[in-house]
Amino acid sequence: MKIAMTALIKKDFRGVTDNKHLFSAILILPLILTIILPSIFVAVVCFAPDDPDMQVLYQLLPQESRGGSFQMTVIGLIFNYILPLFFLMIPIMTASIMAASSFVGEKEKHTLETLIYCPLSLQQIFRAKVLASFMLSMFVSLISFVAMLTVIQLEVFFLLDSLMLPGINWLIILLLVSPSISLIAVTLIVRGSAKARSVEESQQGAVFLILPLILLAVGQFSGIMLLGTGLLLILGLICALLAGLLLKKSMGRFTYEMLLRS
Amino acid sequence: MKAILLQNLSKTYAGGKQALDHVSLELGHGEVFGFLGPNGAGKTTTVKLLNGMLLPSEGNCRVLGIDPAKEPEKVHAFSGIVTEHAQMYDQMTGLENLIFYGNIFGISSGEAKKRAEKLLEQLELANAKDKKLSAYSTGMRQRLSLARALIHRPKILFLDEPTSGLDPESAQNVNQMLRTLASEQGMTLFLCTHQLRYAQEICTRYGLIDQGHLLASGTLTELRDLVPSGITLEIRGDHMPACSFTKTKKDIYETSIHSEEEIPGLVRKIVEGGGNIYSVIAQKPSLEDIYFTLTSAKKEENL
Repeated sequence: MKIAMTALIKKDFRGVTDNKHLFSAILILPLILTIILPSIFVAVVCFAPDDPDMQVLYQLLPQESRGGSFQMTVIGLIFNYILPLFFLMIPIMTASIMAASSFVGEKEKHTLETLIYCPLSLQQIFRAKVLASFMLSMFVSLISFVAMLTVIQLEVFFLLDSLMLPGINWLIILLLVSPSISLIAVTLIVRGSAKARSVEESQQGAVFLILPLILLAVGQFSGIMLLGTGLLLILGLICALLAGLLLKKSMGRFTYEMLLRS
Repeated sequence: MKAILLQNLSKTYAGGKQALDHVSLELGHGEVFGFLGPNGAGKTTTVKLLNGMLLPSEGNCRVLGIDPAKEPEKVHAFSGIVTEHAQMYDQMTGLENLIFYGNIFGISSGEAKKRAEKLLEQLELANAKDKKLSAYSTGMRQRLSLARALIHRPKILFLDEPTSGLDPESAQNVNQMLRTLASEQGMTLFLCTHQLRYAQEICTRYGLIDQGHLLASGTLTELRDLVPSGITLEIRGDHMPACSFTKTKKDIYETSIHSEEEIPGLVRKIVEGGGNIYSVIAQKPSLEDIYFTLTSAKKEENL
């Protein structure tokens, strides 16, 4: 059934790339979060270094964190502690756009019935739908990361004549936290999509998944809870465990009758 | 092993509506079975039960010996289904849709393309194969659905109102194709329709259903034996002697008889009595006549 699953995943990809509205919605957020927002941060640090708030922030930093110049330290702080949280919104938002329409979109277009008359089990269809959304959100995340890294390097190189290498936080985020969060989001959204009556209803439900990240960002900005390497690793492991459990639990929940109910 | 077997099959929906009430049926291989009844009679529910989309409330069913409630994927692997709710993707062309559904049934893209092109040719859609489905008319979509249901060469084909939306010429073409599939390839056809005249053209056996009850099943001859209306004999003639015939129009006389053996005697009697006969038509009850007789009998029984 490899041919069937591959065909289903390809078809779901095409469903997004052929739809200009969906495709542009998927591109806009990464563009803002990985190109525009970091560029604003770099510009502020480079062109307004005398800002008193910035100076206060710099003074508050422990001595070991103040490596290199003021600008490089603050940019490094933003790059390694603030931007990862914004970056984590990308897989969730990408997943919400594609996964939200996975089942309910097919239901609205009356193609779901045709699809479930195929020799794939509902679990296989669910797995293919989750995999398609997961792959797309990982692909968008990876491209976004490369784009962000390139833009920041270029900006830092031309403005400060230096390079900003990503810290270990980024490695944990790229390899553990981002895939886990993406899988949690995709599984929850695809599961919600199977029960939803319309794509809009499914997308509205998906937006709530972004809330924990906003809380983390507030914590990070206010200093209530600084997401350091250790904490990030623990968070990543918890998310990976949760993703695995959710995926396993969601697989057996579907019945044809439930899916076809309008 | 029967191609399709229903044993006391019942389905009551969550809201309490009983869509199917203890229906028992058997279909042999290569039969073209017409499952006939008005909208809401329980035809679509039966197709969904036979494909495992719904679980029976009572009784059971088998498709080529497999219980669809337990192993629906196995039933789907050798069945093709055409229903009005099973649509395809508007953003893809006719050919792309067929290749996709071929892939879904485990057929490689190359083989799926070959089969798809042949089916599109047979269903007179070859010229529209590269057009997006959104540009297809209702009739073209219906024919493409049939091609989709045949792409994996199923052993059993479930058709729910297959000719709705087709022009007479296309309907005739589809009928011919279905007949060939049954007679030459031994495919079993389970055809649901409320168009009784259409069913009479194509089916070899029938099941008549109303409000979830199976009223009768059998060949047309067997069904005719169930109704007392017999044969209507219509004679066009003049100078008719006094007899059991009733004049319905100018020079047209009708009477009811029980068998064709009675015709020669009646004709002889008219001619010997001085009447002239120009034509004799023995009208056997159509499926429609049988259906309405049986439903009226059922209503009277319930009163």
